[in-house]
Amino acid sequence: MIISRRNVLLGATASAALLPIAARAQTSDVVIGVIYPLSGASAQIGVDAQKAFETAAEIINKNFDFELPLARGDGLPGLGGARIRLVFADHQADPQKGRAEAERLITQEKVCAVIGTYQSAVAVTVSQICERYQIPFLSADNSSPSLHRRGLKFYFRASPHDEMYSKAMFDFFDAMRKKGVKIDTLSLFHEDTIFGTDSGNAQTKLASERGYKVISDIKYRANSPSLSAEVQQLKAANADVLMPSSYTTDGILLVKTMGELGYRPPAIVAQDAGFSEKALYDAVGDKLEGVISRGTFSLDLAAKRPMVGKINDMFKQKSGKDLNDYSSRQFMALIVMADAINRAKSIDGEKIREALVATDLPGEETIMPWKRIKFDEMGQNNDADPVLLQYVGGKFVTIFPPQAAVAEAVWPMK
Amino acid sequence: MTAETIVQSLASGLLMGLLYGLIAVGLALIFGLMDVVNFAHGEFLMIAMYATFFLFAFFAVDPLLSAPLVAAALFMFGAVVYLLVVRFAMRAKANAGMVQIFSTFGLAIVMRGLAQFFFTPDYRSITHSWLGGKTVSIAGIFLPVPQLFGALVAIAAFVALWFFINRTDFGRALEATREDAGAVALVGIDKNRVFALGWGLGAALVGLAGAIMAIFFYIYPDVGASFALIAYVTVALGGFGSVFGAFAGGLVVGLVEATTALVLPPSLKSVGIYAVYLLVVFVRPRGLFGSL
Amino acid sequence: MDTAFAQRRRRDLIVAACLAAIAALVPLFVKDVYVQNIMVLTLMYAALSQSWNILSGYCGQISLGHALYFGLGAYTTALLFTKFGVLPWFGMLGGGLISAAIALALGYPCFRLRGHYFVIATIVIAETALLLFQNWEWAGAALGIDIPVRGDSWLKFQFTRSKLPYFYFALVLACIAWFVTWWLEDSKWGYWWRAVKDNPDAAESLGVVVFNSKMGAAAVSAFLTAVGGSFYAQFVSYIDPESVMGFQFSLLMALPAVLGGIGTLWGPVLGALILIPLTELTRSFIGGSGRGVDLIVYGALIVLISLARPQGLVGLFSRRRKEAVR
Repeated sequence: MIISRRNVLLGATASAALLPIAARAQTSDVVIGVIYPLSGASAQIGVDAQKAFETAAEIINKNFDFELPLARGDGLPGLGGARIRLVFADHQADPQKGRAEAERLITQEKVCAVIGTYQSAVAVTVSQICERYQIPFLSADNSSPSLHRRGLKFYFRASPHDEMYSKAMFDFFDAMRKKGVKIDTLSLFHEDTIFGTDSGNAQTKLASERGYKVISDIKYRANSPSLSAEVQQLKAANADVLMPSSYTTDGILLVKTMGELGYRPPAIVAQDAGFSEKALYDAVGDKLEGVISRGTFSLDLAAKRPMVGKINDMFKQKSGKDLNDYSSRQFMALIVMADAINRAKSIDGEKIREALVATDLPGEETIMPWKRIKFDEMGQNNDADPVLLQYVGGKFVTIFPPQAAVAEAVWPMK
Repeated sequence: MTAETIVQSLASGLLMGLLYGLIAVGLALIFGLMDVVNFAHGEFLMIAMYATFFLFAFFAVDPLLSAPLVAAALFMFGAVVYLLVVRFAMRAKANAGMVQIFSTFGLAIVMRGLAQFFFTPDYRSITHSWLGGKTVSIAGIFLPVPQLFGALVAIAAFVALWFFINRTDFGRALEATREDAGAVALVGIDKNRVFALGWGLGAALVGLAGAIMAIFFYIYPDVGASFALIAYVTVALGGFGSVFGAFAGGLVVGLVEATTALVLPPSLKSVGIYAVYLLVVFVRPRGLFGSL
Repeated sequence: MDTAFAQRRRRDLIVAACLAAIAALVPLFVKDVYVQNIMVLTLMYAALSQSWNILSGYCGQISLGHALYFGLGAYTTALLFTKFGVLPWFGMLGGGLISAAIALALGYPCFRLRGHYFVIATIVIAETALLLFQNWEWAGAALGIDIPVRGDSWLKFQFTRSKLPYFYFALVLACIAWFVTWWLEDSKWGYWWRAVKDNPDAAESLGVVVFNSKMGAAAVSAFLTAVGGSFYAQFVSYIDPESVMGFQFSLLMALPAVLGGIGTLWGPVLGALILIPLTELTRSFIGGSGRGVDLIVYGALIVLISLARPQGLVGLFSRRRKEAVR
């Protein structure tokens, strides 16, 4: 009795697994796997990511008059007009589940490339499995610096990592110091997962290299019910700059608690994450006039590059929000991957990999304020220049570096 | 580490502790009543917060006004959960404890899934309320008004609860039913009615806590998870079955959390709470004031 | 003298051997790696849940903190391998022994606690360990440990594409956990546990003997769980505190036993066979929408099964159906 039930169960699963393969034999779509957290605490990010990828897919598959790879014309000309088809999977922020989903996408859905994953821990296992199957993996928005240093040939990252971001922040501090602004002491406030740890490490290292004193280094537990004790210590330290590395939930709680305890630092320079999310500014934006965050993307680029504004409108229609740091990187990731597949004229993993290695996209043909997209031998794009954005009058304004800035930084915060 | 920092941390910890106590007392009541640990307690809190938010977003009702409404709504919700789910869980003769744990645990997952389905995973906040964002400063110590209010409500709730349980007929019926359901039935008290009302009351209390927390905390489907563990530890620390224990437990947890954050890196502040819990129960296996 | 009890035990053993033999043949017919992955996870959870069942089911000490041992096993193996080059086979042994020792050390004060106090103590101990590892620089802290995989090797127990070695290891582990349970059922310890379950007050008078048997159960359970954790580290080749010491793992180790039948020999196996494929399939095929539907389905099923069959699904197969509801 038990025997037959088990066999039935296994047989059923096996047939269910084969069905999608049979059904897809007819189409000639280019299938790309996208793995994100679609349930649990970071589900909002995953759901927004879906909209970003769908926007990019629409632009590729249909004809749009943008100075963006594959925007003009329908589909991928290098593969006879084949369209991009996205398959989404949920990794639930678990590295093992991410890997299982990646493997499923590769072996059952026959994806020719994988993009993901928001959480760097999941990117570790997903990129490993992609390497084993020789399928290219593009890290859309993982910022952990260790990811491209693992000797993987099929790992690529078009966007900056935490060391690059932190370097931009300190370049900004150096520039402000030259203008006579007093920046001597820093308070670091970072959560205890990979993101916060990497960020804290990078900032500590740069601070000591560039001659800034970290007088307070608060590591806190992500999603804490209360941050009163932590904020009290920040307040007591009273540094010139508060540097938070927090996700949305903690960011909201941080700002509210700061208000409750009467703590107003002269400046806040954030490591993005929560501080680029609309939800945070909806909640506590009134207290954050003048907050500065590092970023990859700035919406005011639309003034110089109209397609940015038009693409933002498309995204906004699907999601109800403007493009932010994450959605913009996710959008570009699909464009970059599709462009490589197009140049490879093939869905073979190795050929796509070679095309990715040969990528050399000028910054003007992207929606980013970057110099260009070109991967080094480890798969990292070192020309992805981060920017610093300041929240002024309800909008983000680029204030650094000078070539991308549209306004001077307001210092101190009001 | 100045004296001001220490006093401020303790004050904040005290306020937070009273709030933890308010969240926990519903759990303590339900357990004290029928020996059931509600693993969906955090999700009850989440529902209460969402209810408060939607009353604010759609009808512009301030959380202070909607608090009694939310408490009443949670009362009904709690009674319904008992009648539809817990009542059956308690009939299990085999592995009664595990069935209760896992049926309420499954319920918690369903509630989180439903919340994500209906409300989306976006984070919500109540941006304008009478108490929100206000803070009073006494001798340089900042006391946020919503938490202060919450602490006062918690104290009032505990006093009211004490009177209710010890001085009213229904309260005594609750006690008696816990002691011996069979004997109580002989006297004509319907066990199911008593338990349903007990669940309702426990849920109403956490509903009150949720309404107040919605004033200053962010809201999303998984928000209950952060508070659930603290609630369980608070109740266990104070002693299952003791309402006063939940109150005392809350105070201890709040203060220990604040103190630990002063001496250890704040990412480890929960370790202080856990260590204190273990020390207490090793010395007093029934918690501080537990009777079961 | 061949009692009904002895007959049942012989039958159990034969059934187990047959099942194991059939299971061993399945991967030769089912080649899809995704399905194979589910099978490996199912066997792993069957092993873990069976180990958990020894302490929590038979002994009655419900633990919701077994992720502690799982994580210790995973970290011991990973650290010994990446920092000192110790092969995972020894690492597994080391992890198992460390976990058993900690289980004994914790058991001494914890077994005095009753019911829910004990449960919460197990939860907070596991959480404390998670927080400590999350903040321990040398062990990687939040960054976790990335186990480099440089090709297939039985010595290093790592394989780049094939799931078969992992499958067979998990199968062996599940068989060992089952066998230990089977053996304990007819041992002196098993005898004490049944006696105490039938008559809790007897525990008082039996005192030390019962206490020692509980300690033994805790150690065995911890050892096997830790080996499972070591296996997991080698299977996924990347661990971090949240993924191996989180509360969700503790629950997932208990759930198959509860659904299948806590305190029974076959409960954890049955529970794992149903629960794990269910979890994986709902996430993969319903979870992609981002609407939380897979959670609703998963949670509802847990509620329904735990209410409808409180004694566990294994009761469906029992010829002697005990009356399990009032």
